[in-house]
Amino acid sequence: MDKYSRVTIREFMSPSNIGHIDDPSGTGHITDNADAVELTLFISVDAGRITDAKYRIAGCTALIATLSVLSKELPGKTIDEALTLDMPYLSGLLEGLPESKWRCARYAVQALHLAIEDYQSKTS
Amino acid sequence: MERIVYLDNAATTPVDAAVLDEMKPFFIEQFANPMTYMHSSAGDVAQTAVEEARGRVASLIGSKPEQVIFTSGGTESDNWVLKGTVERASRERLHKPGHLVTAEFEHHAILHSALALQRQGYEVTFVKVGHSGIVDPDDVRRAMRPTTVLVSIMHANNEIGTIQPIADIARVAHDHGALMHTDAVQTTAHIPVDVDALGVDFLSVSAHKFNGPKGAGVLFIRDHAALYPFIDGGGQEWGLRGSTHNVPGIVGLGKAAQLGKERLPGELERLTTLRNMLLDKLSAGIDRIVVNGDMKQRVPQNLNIRIEGIDNEPLLLAMNEAGIIAAGGSACNAEETLASHVLTSIGCDLKEAKSSIRLSLGYVTTEKDVDRAADVIPGLVKFLRSMA
Repeated sequence: MDKYSRVTIREFMSPSNIGHIDDPSGTGHITDNADAVELTLFISVDAGRITDAKYRIAGCTALIATLSVLSKELPGKTIDEALTLDMPYLSGLLEGLPESKWRCARYAVQALHLAIEDYQSKTS
Repeated sequence: MERIVYLDNAATTPVDAAVLDEMKPFFIEQFANPMTYMHSSAGDVAQTAVEEARGRVASLIGSKPEQVIFTSGGTESDNWVLKGTVERASRERLHKPGHLVTAEFEHHAILHSALALQRQGYEVTFVKVGHSGIVDPDDVRRAMRPTTVLVSIMHANNEIGTIQPIADIARVAHDHGALMHTDAVQTTAHIPVDVDALGVDFLSVSAHKFNGPKGAGVLFIRDHAALYPFIDGGGQEWGLRGSTHNVPGIVGLGKAAQLGKERLPGELERLTTLRNMLLDKLSAGIDRIVVNGDMKQRVPQNLNIRIEGIDNEPLLLAMNEAGIIAAGGSACNAEETLASHVLTSIGCDLKEAKSSIRLSLGYVTTEKDVDRAADVIPGLVKFLRSMA
């Protein structure tokens, strides 16, 4: 039976990078009432590399933990490198997220993609 | 390690030490099959114990002993009564597929049995439930048809604890020539349950909800001829339910019934006070909190609250980390991340349903437990809300 790893619970109980960025380079916003999710991810980009990532979240444990590890992965990465971050990789960082929770956790990746699109639309 | 605060007694309760003591001899020393009582004195001991347990349950629910049929628990009792009654009345009385009336917020043991009947060609009406979480007998009346053979409405809901007007609904059923069943799993030994006062023909009981063992339950059957057997086998239980008696389980169920009856008046008052205290303290510590379902017509051990702006899954997990055990929907659906069908049936939207938690008290709950929960939960809500 699937259950959360201790790493996931630890990450959820003390999540990193909660907050917002004033004047972000890109913002990704997701609302889903059926999943009771309200998520905004902010990124700062400088000279082609992500320098900071922060988020505000109301949602499930898996999503909070995934956002926490994602936000720690992003600084230093180029946009192309950031786009390679996917659920199998992020789940690995959490020592295996239960598969039944991937659907909700994936909002983290979707928010990142929206933030990157937002950044690219501003800079193009 | 700090004591665990267990507020999930609607899911299950610990076996009472006195219950376990009565069960113990029936595993090794008194292991005989009760059906051998005619030629074996060991069998006679087991049979006597089973009959004593039957008498204790009968005394708790106000029935005759022979109307108490032992099963493996509430789910079996619910499956049996729906399938056994609808099939028998349809075949032997109507000579065509009969109609069942039940409610949208029933336990899945009822809902899924009803859907199974529907798949086989029987007709089912799921009556709607209002915001209060209480079925209106007039809605049941409107659902009745000439072919209605059974009405099944739970005595109290397992998630929100609301008590249903069973006696009134039973009158509606009988006025239309149908039989009446109630799932009393959440009420037996918690509030007075009397099969004659309720006017029911069938009633389901589960031992583990009142400090008895898991795997033991009862279906009260007023008239043995009203339904087909569900488990065909030997001649146990008047030929109604085959399978060698679960003697330790039945003995434990009987003892739990006896203790439940003795403790009921005191516990009803004590748990009502503790539950109301818990709500008052949580309301003082958390803003934007709403009780799901009617607060007055409710079993004393149940509190179900909606906390705006949080998802119940991380809250329950954070509570667990702090040593406080509670529930979101019912324990039977905890793996699903779906919103509770009970809460959506009383008009909650999906977001509201997912921000609700059930805190259920029991015989083991102390005032200290309530204080600790009321101290810890507001901080965790604040923690979750601070992320948003």
